[in-house]
Amino acid sequence: MSTIVADQLSQRFGSDLALDSVDLALDQGDHLAVLGDNGAGKTTLLRILATAARPTSGRLEIFGLDALRERKRLRGRIGFVAHAPGLYPALSAAENLEFFCSLQGVERARVSETLALVGLADVAGRPAGRLSRGEQQRLAIGRAILHDPRLLILDEPDASLDSGGADLLVKVMQGRTAVLATHDHALANRLCQRTLVLRNGRPLGAGNRLRVVQ
Amino acid sequence: MTRSVVVALAVARKDLTSEWRTRELVPALGQFVVLALVIANFGFQIDSQNAATIAPGVLWLALVFAGLVAFGRAFAAEREQASLEAMLLTPAPAAAIFAGKALAAGLLLIVCEAVLLPTLALFFGTPLNLALVVAVFVATIGMAALGCLFAAMVARVRSREVLLPLLTLPLWIPFVIAGGQAVQVAMGASGSYNQALGLLVDFDILFVVLTSLAARFVLDD
Repeated sequence: MSTIVADQLSQRFGSDLALDSVDLALDQGDHLAVLGDNGAGKTTLLRILATAARPTSGRLEIFGLDALRERKRLRGRIGFVAHAPGLYPALSAAENLEFFCSLQGVERARVSETLALVGLADVAGRPAGRLSRGEQQRLAIGRAILHDPRLLILDEPDASLDSGGADLLVKVMQGRTAVLATHDHALANRLCQRTLVLRNGRPLGAGNRLRVVQ
Repeated sequence: MTRSVVVALAVARKDLTSEWRTRELVPALGQFVVLALVIANFGFQIDSQNAATIAPGVLWLALVFAGLVAFGRAFAAEREQASLEAMLLTPAPAAAIFAGKALAAGLLLIVCEAVLLPTLALFFGTPLNLALVVAVFVATIGMAALGCLFAAMVARVRSREVLLPLLTLPLWIPFVIAGGQAVQVAMGASGSYNQALGLLVDFDILFVVLTSLAARFVLDD
């Protein structure tokens, strides 16, 4: 069974066509890199896949469920790292994750495990507002995998990560289906077997990593 | 505890912890209500004859505008931190998230009332009794539910500061009318306190139920 099947996904904002007839099929364990310039429609596509936005038209199935009707059921199986980390600055790194444990309905034991995985065990008690931008991004990634989702959607997660960031992404994407938006072709090449290039909301081409690098 | 209660309590605890650590809202609201009472004290010719007549109006004016600030901040802070979406992208019920936000904002307003009521009694020489506290507390429940619903609705709109009072104030009028009557009686005027309080409880039930049902549609997109 495919993890994601998207058919003619389009998104309009007023008269602007942000996404134009995107088709997509991802199997379990596939890693897809979405490439494109600023304003190409990467974030729009990822937000639709994460069920954070509804497309204007088109059909989307995730895990065999209609993603437009069964959003609540799907959300426990999807992890989303958005452009902004979306953390609570007055709460510590651990408290941020504990709060999301309550919302996700998972055991709090996951917190220390997740903090260790994303390399934040040493700053677990530090307020999120006093973490560096890279540490905040690591915490946002930790929050996205807290409930052990089978599908991970990552919107430019490398934007503020340090040199160890790519290794972290390899770790969190392992064993999961993942869609990653990035400007970094080398990173896309390292992390993903498949690519989709967008320009002005239109898919320019999809293929394996060799085609894109060439 | 059911899952919805766990989620609502977690959201409320998160908001109250954040407020306790940053102290962004409550000190400002406390100052606001004290200043409002100082201005009213100088603006009206207060004497022992008219204090009980003017004080309820001043109380509700201060409370209504403090409430607008408190409930507006409840969702504005989430929007500024871009954290609302992260919450909504969990399987947690939207109504429970809303209930948690309303509970925390309502409790912050109650803290503000703990400053407002004694200061009112001090400036206007009006009695501070249990009947007065109960009337204000009961009104706060329904006002918090309505205020938070509209705050959630306008959180993503550019002109939210203008829209929030425009949407909220008309629907708070029933609370001001019934609450005003209850407070007047509690301050010594003639009338039926129980009837006014009963009406406030009815409004609470009506608006808490309606806003809980509407929260799903407001928050989900």
